[in-house]
Amino acid sequence: MINTSKSNLVFVVAIIGLIVTAALVLFNLASQGHAAFNGSNLGLHWTFPIVVYDYFLLTSTGLAMIASLMLIFGGAHCQPLVRRCLWLAVAGLVGGVSVLALELGYPVRAIWAIPTSFAVTSPLWWKVMFVIAYVVVLLITVNLLRKPGEWPAAARTSAILLLLAALGVTGIAGVVYGSMTMRPFWSSGDVPVAFIFESLLGGLAFAIFFSYLAHGFSQERMSAPLRDVLTGMLPKVFALAIFVHLMFVGARALIGLYSNAEGLQVWQYLAGTSLFHIELWAGLVLPLLLMLSPGLRSNAGSQTLAALLVMISLFIARYDYIIGGQLVPMFKGAWAPELLSYAPSFTEWMLLLMAIFLANAIYVWGEKKFDLSWCKQA
Amino acid sequence: MAKWGMVIDLDKCTGCQACTTACAMENNRLPGENWQDVLFYTEGTYPNVSMKWFPRPCFHCENPSCVSVCPTRATYKDPEGGFVLIDWNKCIGCKYCQVACPYGVRFFTDEKAVVQPDIRDVFPAKDDRQWDPPYKGPQDDPSRGIGIQPHGVVSKCTFCYHKVSKAPEGVADLDEDIPELKEYVPGCVRVCAPKARFFGDLDNPESYVNKLIADKRGVRLKEETGNKPQVYYLSGGAAAAVPGLRSMKDKS
Repeated sequence: MINTSKSNLVFVVAIIGLIVTAALVLFNLASQGHAAFNGSNLGLHWTFPIVVYDYFLLTSTGLAMIASLMLIFGGAHCQPLVRRCLWLAVAGLVGGVSVLALELGYPVRAIWAIPTSFAVTSPLWWKVMFVIAYVVVLLITVNLLRKPGEWPAAARTSAILLLLAALGVTGIAGVVYGSMTMRPFWSSGDVPVAFIFESLLGGLAFAIFFSYLAHGFSQERMSAPLRDVLTGMLPKVFALAIFVHLMFVGARALIGLYSNAEGLQVWQYLAGTSLFHIELWAGLVLPLLLMLSPGLRSNAGSQTLAALLVMISLFIARYDYIIGGQLVPMFKGAWAPELLSYAPSFTEWMLLLMAIFLANAIYVWGEKKFDLSWCKQA
Repeated sequence: MAKWGMVIDLDKCTGCQACTTACAMENNRLPGENWQDVLFYTEGTYPNVSMKWFPRPCFHCENPSCVSVCPTRATYKDPEGGFVLIDWNKCIGCKYCQVACPYGVRFFTDEKAVVQPDIRDVFPAKDDRQWDPPYKGPQDDPSRGIGIQPHGVVSKCTFCYHKVSKAPEGVADLDEDIPELKEYVPGCVRVCAPKARFFGDLDNPESYVNKLIADKRGVRLKEETGNKPQVYYLSGGAAAAVPGLRSMKDKS
């Protein structure tokens, strides 16, 4: 069962962390403006805040996809995970969008200027439209499942719409980058599909990790139905998702290292960094081995470790993809090095922590308010 | 309607940066944030080194990727003249246009100053503009991205819209050597000492820019992106050259 005193502690820590990091970020932005970020007109336009925003948004849609699939196809035995996934999706969405709002030049103007522009040629316009639809359907679905008990009949319809909206957001997020033919590191027709699989993997990792976190990393404290899901079907699906994502990462890296296309020089740099190898070996291969082993697959410790490693790996992947796509300058010139250099500023790191604290505060509040662990006992 | 375009003869360009300076003065650019720039680069290794340079304004493309990606229609293609402009009243500073521009000619100037000391601290603005330079010109049209850049928006070369759009209708070329037209000539074209720049109507078969493009085989940069720039380069193999690659060295 949920340990109330521990969840209170997590909530208090999250609130204090949120206040401290938000104060630091807001002070730095008020005093320095966007100079508090390490972006530049040399070519690095989208930096760490966009990495954080996309990571949280796509994790949110991944969680929503998993909850929807469980609602549509899973039947009663998936019940113990659905409410947690949905609320985690809400928490992640708020964390990500708050970071984007602090990165935009005019966030308030964006609220009306984007929807009323009908800029149908812009992938970003479609992404915002799908995000609006996603927010509405997600909140409706959460509300339908707010109270413990049998799922209402409308939940299935709502889940279908939520799945479509989440797929739309994630796929178009891929189009935002994949359609940039002038940036070969980003551009590819398979990027939207890769984003969808990456989101699903992230959703699975977060669902597993936070289910264990809520129960003190102990299967004994879990209800029998939840334990059955976590030791039965879920780790196998998790292994498959890791494998599919690993194929995408490996194929992209191999083609990038092989190709002579301008802009893909960055692969030589990326493949030489420790971050890439942590992403690949510690973040994907090791969790895959853990989930392939019948003895370890059902173990609480190995599941938690695998989920945590995948969560970190996906963040590195998001960072390498967004930053890596901008490292080769558009023009050679005396003013531009072979590769641009970038490291997140202090304010940008604080934005990441702020998003983590904010999402956790919302998540724990929901845990206490909605009893996310509820399930019908057999 | 005219479709204004520019021809830059690289055989005549000396890399003197007069165009860069004139643009900065005309458009109140922050030091280092040049709408019009001349890029310098070296190719080869010692002793087989050649130094090259490349003048680069915004290309005011026929099919601009910056326009198609803008989620608020702040960046738009002006049907009367073919200018690509930014409405600063609609721009939200998402920087997608900067990411999508294959030519790197757009500027979000709220970041760290390129040149120190930060001139924005020396001449601070009282409103939401970036700065308040003592020599600013009278032109101010935020709906076309003209004037002093506000905070939080992207900017770019306007082809000196505030001058060109006032030219008499039907004019084929804007040439500083024609006294009655010189006030309408873009700043970078007007000051070009070796007369390497030409500005005219690409839709007018009588224009000198069309003749130059045809006779000297004008080329456009990065044709493979499909953006179709309205700036053409004439290159006969002198020191200034259209860069063929983005990178300084081969990947191998």
